[in-house]
Amino acid sequence: MKRAILSCNGLDKPEGSVAREVAIRGADATGSEIICPVLLNRAPARYKKVLSETSLIVVDGCSTRCATKLAARLEAKVERKVLVTDAVKASGQPLESTLSLGPKGLALAQSIVDELLRTLDAPAVAAEPVAEFETPTEYLVVTHDKFEFRIPVVDYVFNENDIWARVLDGVARVGISDYMQQKLTDINYFDAPRVDSTVEQFGELGSLESAKAVFEIVSPVSGAVTAVNQAVIDNPGLINEDPYGAGWLVEVKLAAWPQDQELLVDAPAYAEIVKRKAAEE
Amino acid sequence: MSETTFMGVPRDKIPWYPMIDYDKCTVCMECDKFCPHHVFDRRESGRVPVVANPNNCVVFCRACAKACGPDAISFPSKPETIALIKQIREQEAVK
Repeated sequence: MKRAILSCNGLDKPEGSVAREVAIRGADATGSEIICPVLLNRAPARYKKVLSETSLIVVDGCSTRCATKLAARLEAKVERKVLVTDAVKASGQPLESTLSLGPKGLALAQSIVDELLRTLDAPAVAAEPVAEFETPTEYLVVTHDKFEFRIPVVDYVFNENDIWARVLDGVARVGISDYMQQKLTDINYFDAPRVDSTVEQFGELGSLESAKAVFEIVSPVSGAVTAVNQAVIDNPGLINEDPYGAGWLVEVKLAAWPQDQELLVDAPAYAEIVKRKAAEE
Repeated sequence: MSETTFMGVPRDKIPWYPMIDYDKCTVCMECDKFCPHHVFDRRESGRVPVVANPNNCVVFCRACAKACGPDAISFPSKPETIALIKQIREQEAVK
């Protein structure tokens, strides 16, 4: 699929200037069309054809994430997101405070584009997911008003941040619970962690976005990310459809499973947590 | 409204909640609009957002910081918080 770049205009912040520069350089480097966010907002029909034929690289300057919100409102297909403030933090180099980009801003913009070029067509998934899991068949059901939250009876353990882990041969498959997918409503983006990155228990394993919220995936285990579910990156709706099966998110090679388990709970205990959370809403 | 325990530890013993840098805050109130747990409020101060209900904050959630355009929200260190939770759990287990 062809790509287009939607960046924030960010004219009043240095990070916005970087976003704009990333869009210009990225469009050149990838042969993508640039979408002007102001025009898109004012006259979406202008870009109707482009949006139907391309997937977007969305570049935001700051966490207000205007470009992301615009893309979500128009239900555009998003392939990749870049947040300049995150890139600034990761680089450890503060930007110049001027709106015209200085050497640091230009270097950062180029490094973001280089990273995009390096990773856009590289599969995020390690060769094959290691674990072979069967879909659960037996569930505990917590009901609240008209809602029903399912929790697999066996094999799954949970942290209190609504993330499950299922372990086989030293590898944990990780995903979000039925309760959390219902709470988030339609999930439209999975910002996946990088394969081979390491994570501590309760560290961040990427995030999920819906129209309603950004949800940080709080890792139930510690170890190294060995696989990311490409099917979910391509179609985040799988998480809503089948949170314990096809909607799994990542696999992690376990580094300290005996200790990790001490801070996780089984299905009946998690059911109590869900009951409490649902009642508090 | 507040969660009573987290990992078996009384919620009010876990110092996990957002801290607002008012030099950076632009009073856009995105944090308050975003947080479904009503951690923020502007009533007490009249103008700027305040962390009115810190114990409503979901331990390890940092979503409001991600929604904050001017990057004015910070959280405690996760490893230190985990160490504290483990320490309290061990103390409770001994009792």
